[in-house]
Amino acid sequence: MKTRLTKKKAIFLAVWLLVIALILAGIIVLWPPAAKHESIQQAMQDSVLHETNKVEFFSLVVNPAVVSAYIVTAVLLLAAALIRIFAIPKFKTVPGKFQCAIETIVGLFSGMAGKNSPHKPKFIGAYIFSAGVYIFVSTLFELFGVQWINTHGAALSLPAPISDINAAIALGVMSYGIILGGGIRFRGVKGGLSVLKDFSLPISMSFRLFGALLSGLLVTELVYYYVSLSFVLPVIVGVLFTLLHAIIQTYVLATLVSVFYGEAIEPKPKKIKNKKKKVN
Amino acid sequence: MNIPLNIDILQILLHMLNFVILAGGLTFLLYKPVVNFMEKRRQQFADEEAANKAKAEENVRLQEEYEKKIRIADAEISERKKLLEKEYAEISAEYIKDAKEKAATIITAAELEAEDRKEHILESVQTEIGELVVSATQKLLSDTVTPQRNSALYDEFIRLAENTVNEERAKNDKK
Repeated sequence: MKTRLTKKKAIFLAVWLLVIALILAGIIVLWPPAAKHESIQQAMQDSVLHETNKVEFFSLVVNPAVVSAYIVTAVLLLAAALIRIFAIPKFKTVPGKFQCAIETIVGLFSGMAGKNSPHKPKFIGAYIFSAGVYIFVSTLFELFGVQWINTHGAALSLPAPISDINAAIALGVMSYGIILGGGIRFRGVKGGLSVLKDFSLPISMSFRLFGALLSGLLVTELVYYYVSLSFVLPVIVGVLFTLLHAIIQTYVLATLVSVFYGEAIEPKPKKIKNKKKKVN
Repeated sequence: MNIPLNIDILQILLHMLNFVILAGGLTFLLYKPVVNFMEKRRQQFADEEAANKAKAEENVRLQEEYEKKIRIADAEISERKKLLEKEYAEISAEYIKDAKEKAATIITAAELEAEDRKEHILESVQTEIGELVVSATQKLLSDTVTPQRNSALYDEFIRLAENTVNEERAKNDKK
């Protein structure tokens, strides 16, 4: 008797949900297009170039990615300070779950630095850790959809900082600067010159980062633009194009910088000149 | 300066400033302390491993030393045992020899004593027999002489003589 009632309830629930889903689908399909203040073309162009939607930052008119970058930095520094004050002093020889997670992240980057740049891994380890954490968190930042007011007074969702070409160039140029500085510091002028040969490196690093992030951003922008696509699909798209990009780009930049840095500072073996003895 | 793709030097610098602040903060707040902790722990494990290895080597050395000492002690014990067995055999042989000599002396003394006693017994038996013969003769002479009487007297004499001999023998045996 009890089983039959439960079965009946389940059937009723399934039918009820199906009816709701069908009605919702009808509403979504027949929903009149909202009066958008920009077309899809404009929205996507703005996502790439950030020419329309500008925000104010300490009285400067900048791309929204600048604000995103500073928010991400503030959040990361706050989290780091909290971990430093409350978690690190309680670290144990046999780690707990949280300590294990922190050690795994730090160990991943320090290990990468040690493997790719075995001569001087400390500085580059810290650099790729910071860059990696920044790229990963800032890429995920767009999923939170933090709202901001643009210069026209309209609300906008803050994008991932790296989706702005200026941020990607900043990171690429700084990474190249680090590699160049390492080469000059540890191998002198020769090291600097050998790094200068790879002058395309900052451009390739910047545009790889920017391109990868942008491709994900364009797809998500497209999905978010249409109401009919904004059910369930954003979750899959968000995970595919944001989370995976975050992981891949973090890994790619950290690996590239550590490999080039290791190569730049690696002491070259001295050539032994075989002087031919003159036979008198 | 109008650079395509909305590239703005000022914004690039703003991003650079942001990243430099972030990198410095993360390095000093998170990366260095965690790396130092991990390095310290790795060093601690390495030290413990080295100490354990040294201990294990010391244990092996001590065991070898111990086994060597045991081998030496076993050899000493074996030698000592052989020596003691030899000494024991010598002492035993001496004791046996002494005992045999004492036994021989005792037997000789006992034989001599037995011979003396035998002679003494025989002497005393001869005296008693003589006395018995005299008393029997006297009795015979004093009584009436008949063949039955004579026969009875002889029987009586032989019985008394046998009794006397038996008693003496019993006395000798008891001694």
